[in-house]
Formats: sequence, structure tokens, C-alpha cells
Amino acid sequence: MRRELAGWGLFFLVVAALPWLGLAADRYLMFLANVMLMFMVLALSWDVVARTGQLSLAHGAFFGLGAYTVGIAYRSAHLPPLAGLAIAAIVGAVVAIALGLVTLRLRGIYFAIATLAFAEVLRTVALQLPDLTGGNVGISMPPLFDGDRVISYYLVAGLFVLAVALSVWVRRSRMQYAVTAIRANETVAAVVGVSVVRTKIVLFAASATLAALAGAFYMPFITHTDPADAFDTSRSVAALVFPIFGGLYTTVGPVVGTILLRSLEEYLRVTPPWKDGYQVVYGLVIVIAVLFMPRGLVGLAGERLRRSPWRSSR
Amino acid sequence: MALLEVAGLVRRFRGLAAVDGLSFTVEEGRTVAIIGPNGAGKSTAFNLISGLLRPHSGTIRLDGRDITRVPSYVRTRAGLGRTFQLVQPFHDLDVLGNVTVGALFGGTEKRGVTAARAAAAGLCEMVGLGDRMSAPVSALTIADRKRLELARALATDPRLLLLDELMEGLTPTEEREAVALLGRIRASGVTLLLIEHVMSTVRELSDHVIVMDYGKKLAEGDYATVSRDPAVIAAYLGTEEAAS
Repeated sequence: MRRELAGWGLFFLVVAALPWLGLAADRYLMFLANVMLMFMVLALSWDVVARTGQLSLAHGAFFGLGAYTVGIAYRSAHLPPLAGLAIAAIVGAVVAIALGLVTLRLRGIYFAIATLAFAEVLRTVALQLPDLTGGNVGISMPPLFDGDRVISYYLVAGLFVLAVALSVWVRRSRMQYAVTAIRANETVAAVVGVSVVRTKIVLFAASATLAALAGAFYMPFITHTDPADAFDTSRSVAALVFPIFGGLYTTVGPVVGTILLRSLEEYLRVTPPWKDGYQVVYGLVIVIAVLFMPRGLVGLAGERLRRSPWRSSR
Repeated sequence: MALLEVAGLVRRFRGLAAVDGLSFTVEEGRTVAIIGPNGAGKSTAFNLISGLLRPHSGTIRLDGRDITRVPSYVRTRAGLGRTFQLVQPFHDLDVLGNVTVGALFGGTEKRGVTAARAAAAGLCEMVGLGDRMSAPVSALTIADRKRLELARALATDPRLLLLDELMEGLTPTEEREAVALLGRIRASGVTLLLIEHVMSTVRELSDHVIVMDYGKKLAEGDYATVSRDPAVIAAYLGTEEAAS
């Protein structure tokens, strides 16, 4: 426990130091670093829900909901972005609890289907209420702190610390026993005394709040949102691919998975000859990785450690 | 007042009544066995009592409190524990972790993780899994999985423990060990309600026997009385249990 916290402390120091190590001078790299942190939050929060055995296809939609909330708060009520952030967190939590109350009583695939439908509903609503959402055109707003990407970076890094804290807390507290039991068998978990529905709803709400906050930071960072971008399915897919690639049900996995896959995607996107078909190559890498490392990079590393003779007792 | 009071319980599957007006009581401190041919409705009765199924009519009272419509986890916290005929371990947890879930969430008192693990370790020792606490459940034999099932149920501090065919799949030696273990659990004050096919176990452990057939209570009484009852013998006739 202590070693894990020390490890994360060190990682946070590196994250905090990066702008001082020359990153701040490069606006393109600062852009990538900001987006990278937002995706780490998305991946970490998705993994927390996955631990209860539930496949969420709505994390990208909660991200979009957060972005729209900040945009609407600015456009309709002229609220400053920071007030919009607070509202986005509340909206994310309330919507997640409402969605969870309806869908998390059901078991198995229903939740996944419902979350997919939820994302479509949000996209449609964004299109059909142009007075509020700007319809197809979306909403534009001025950047936060005059577009200072370093300040934005530190704000998102703070959110990232929260996401890591949630992920570690669930693994290191009584929650770990509850979620692992629920994942194995909900009926048996309930018979052993676990409050299954409540546990699932609480974690889904916490997780969706983080996803909404990531989107809430994204909006004034990018300065524009529209239905196609806010409710882009690829973001929901990224939220689940990064943790699977890095290692499910862990904290390191979603972080490492995000860093590697986002970097790879960006490299392919800007480098010839991959540029033109980069999504095909990127998709192939993911398919091969999932086929050959079913437990992700963390699982692969764990097996190496287990085979080595000097491993510690746990 | 009886610890468990079941009255007029009915549960149908596609119109067919699996449990059909079942009524019985279990007094605190007693050990009661439910026996009956396959398909008599014993397991359905257990699922109704532990909250996995809802009855179409009838009531279930635990220590006077109506728990008929209460979710499983609330029944567990109120002192109702159960094991499953088909063992159901939590796969991503080791032996100690499995038992800890019960101690953490099923108990009447709220415990922290450290206290729950200590309580769980004690129960692992008690059921004979003391040397396998950090083993993955996939490495356990059937007998050890049954022990785990029992330890996890005990971790929820049950006043009434429902045991669904705990002896099934055990060798005669393991069976004797299990009977001795249940004797100790009973001596510690836990009321036992068991579904059992092994008649020697029923004879040895139970103060009271309920015979079910076609979802109804066919007879009840002590083992000697019930085993001489012509209606009971008729119900078992032609099945292998008649031989034992």
C-alpha cells in the first residue's frame, strides 16, 4: 500500500514537472499532454465501473454531457467556465444515478445496451434543441485563462489525481471485496450480504462524474463543441480499449494503456506513410494486443515477475 | 416465537406449483432437515426463504419480522445465512478473500477490512482451510470448496443457516468430518435448516425432519417417526433413497 502510494506520488511529481522540463514551450505538445490527461481520467473512471462486471458504453457520452453543460452554462446563463465545471459535475452525477437506478437493477448485457442507447439519446437531444445547444453547429466559447495551456494542464492534472485516488481507493478498501464478489456472481454476492445495486450505482455515479468533469475541462480548452464531436462513439471505445490494453481492474493499466495507445495513434496520424490509413493500423495493433495479452500489459508484466526467482511474497 | 416461520408459501413456474402451500416453523437452536424426492420443491423453498425468488403468496418471518419481500442482502444482515448446492466461490478472490466478503458485508456488526480478515481467518481454521487461505479457489477440491461455502456463510454471523446438500459429492470420510463440523456449529448456537439426501446425516444431526413431496409438506416429526410413515415410504418408493 505504502509503496503504491509512493509510486503514484512520484508519478504525480513527474506530471507536475513536465511543463518545467521544456514541455510548456511547445504548444502542440502541451495540447497533447492536456488531452492525454483527459483520456487517462476517462480510462480510469471506466475501469472502476468495469470492476463491478458492467460494460459502460456511455463514458464518452458523459464526457460530452460535461462539455455541453459548460457550454450551455456559458451561452445561456453567461456563467464563467469554473462555475460551469461545478454544474457539470453535479449534472454528471445526477444523470448517472438516474440512469443507474433504471439500468443497474438489471444484470448482464442490459446495462451495456442501455448505455449505448443513452449516448444516442444525448446526441439526438443536442441536435433537437437548437435554442439550448446550438443544434448542428454546436456551441463556441472563449478559452479558459486566455488559452493558457499550462494552467489548463495543471487543472486537468488535479482531476487526474482524483481519478487515480478513486481507482486506488476502490482496490484498497472494502469496496474491492464487494466489486470482486459482484463481478463473480451478483446473486451469491447479495446472499453473502453485499448491497449489489447500491454498490454498482455509487461507483457508476462517481465514475460518470469524473468523465463529465473531463469533458467539462475539454470544452473551454477546445473552445467548441457540437453533437458529432461531443458524442463521438470513438471516445467511448477509447475509454474501454485503453484499460483493456493496459490491464483491466488495475490503476496502472488504464494509465499506461492511455499513454501508449494515444501516443501511437498520434504518431501514426502525423507520420507518412501511415497517415492515410492510420486508423486501420491502429485498429490492427489493438486487435493483436487484445488477442495475445488478454490481461493487458500489466498482466504480461505480472507473469514475468512471477517467473523470476526474486519476486516478493505478494 | 419460532426463529423461522413459513406460512402458506406458493411459488409457480409456468403455472406449475414447485412450492404449493408450504408451512413450517423452525425453533431457535434446533436442527431441522428437509427431505424429499427430487423435484419435491426443497431447493425452491430455500430460494424463497433466502430471497432469490419471490413467492406468489405466503409469508416468511425471521424472528417475528416479515422478510417475504425483503432483498437477499438484508435477510443476510438480519441473520439468515445459506450455502449453495453447486458451490459458488468468487473467482478473483483467494480463499480468505471469499470468506472476508461475508465478514465485511453480511455480519450484524460493521467491521473494517482488518477485523473482517481476522474473523475470516478464524473461520478458515475452523472449517479446516487454515493452510489454504491464500490459495486461489480454482485450486480447491470439491470437499474444500464445500468447506469454503460453509465458512463464507458462517462469516455472515447467521442465527439461522440454510445448508443446501452440503454432503453431496463428499467421500464417506469427508462426510464424517462434515457431520462433526456441523455438530460444532450447532453447539455454538446456530440454528440449522438443511436439505439433505444422505440419510445417515439426517439421522445423526436433525432434531426434526420435514418431508416434502410435490411442493407440499407430506409429513414431519423426528427421524424415527418420519422414516416409518407409510406416506413417506410411498413417496420414496422406486427412488434410490428408499434403499437407505
